[in-house]
Amino acid sequence: MSFSAGWYAVAIAGGLEPGTSAGTRLFDKELVIWRDKDGASHAWEDRCPHRGMRLSFGFVRGNHIACLYHGWQFDEAGQCRYIPAHPKLDVPDTIKVARYPSVEAKGLIWVYSEMVAEAPVPAPEDGAATPVRSLYLERDPATVGFIIENGGAGPFEILSDSLFATNVEGAELLVALQPFTDDRTALHIVITSGDIAPAKIAVWAEELRAVLETVRPISSGDALLAERFAS
Amino acid sequence: MRDTTTMVFLGRFVPESFAEFMRHRAARLSLEASFGTIGPERIEVEVGGDEDLIDMFEMACSLGPIDCLVLDIYREAQLR
Repeated sequence: MSFSAGWYAVAIAGGLEPGTSAGTRLFDKELVIWRDKDGASHAWEDRCPHRGMRLSFGFVRGNHIACLYHGWQFDEAGQCRYIPAHPKLDVPDTIKVARYPSVEAKGLIWVYSEMVAEAPVPAPEDGAATPVRSLYLERDPATVGFIIENGGAGPFEILSDSLFATNVEGAELLVALQPFTDDRTALHIVITSGDIAPAKIAVWAEELRAVLETVRPISSGDALLAERFAS
Repeated sequence: MRDTTTMVFLGRFVPESFAEFMRHRAARLSLEASFGTIGPERIEVEVGGDEDLIDMFEMACSLGPIDCLVLDIYREAQLR
């Protein structure tokens, strides 16, 4: 299984508070996600155009993010607005950070996987959702997706290559797969309907992690048999 | 303040590599750059734009690409 360019969830939206930044990866590309003081989230290349420092190590100052290294500040559009060593400088438009299209929907932050001005496909639709948690699996994204799609981790409805739905004790869940690196996968879980304590789903999520990290996918013709590694 | 100056880089260069490095940095800093001598031991470039940005350009080029070594930098005024 392979993943195509598209929208991928990279974080639970509520986990990114105003004035904070975090680093993540999508197909091994390093991203900074940050939320400005007005509440808007942003997903950019995690690299200051000055000396390459990760912007995820930086500080959010109002609606700007400042690089940890030399304090260069970038506005919501990625444009450099202030260089502390040259406070009177009118910073040219060419000094800016590369950005990814991003939206918030269903309690998640979604990023389009290619660095384009505008995503060529519609962003995920919004909807009510209660965040549960994110899981970071020590397993490659293709295998994780293969196991979920073929029933190796229980019944899931396949909404796309990276988005799955399931029902746990009457609650409807969305499980969004983030191809983190070649050998790591993140799953972001939200409740879309049903009255169940998120803590209960969190326990289910840990069991899901254990299965997805240990089940051995076996292809037999068109069928998939999933079996646990012998302990 | 706008300025125009000629910079001379002395060292050991892969000329095409250093020229491309200079082009990229000049574009990033919105500077006008016109190249003079581009050789294995001497590179000359005239740059025009904000003086702070010209200083940044010099700093960036003093590091240079991995396959080049800058040993010294002069500006035109210092050569006179």
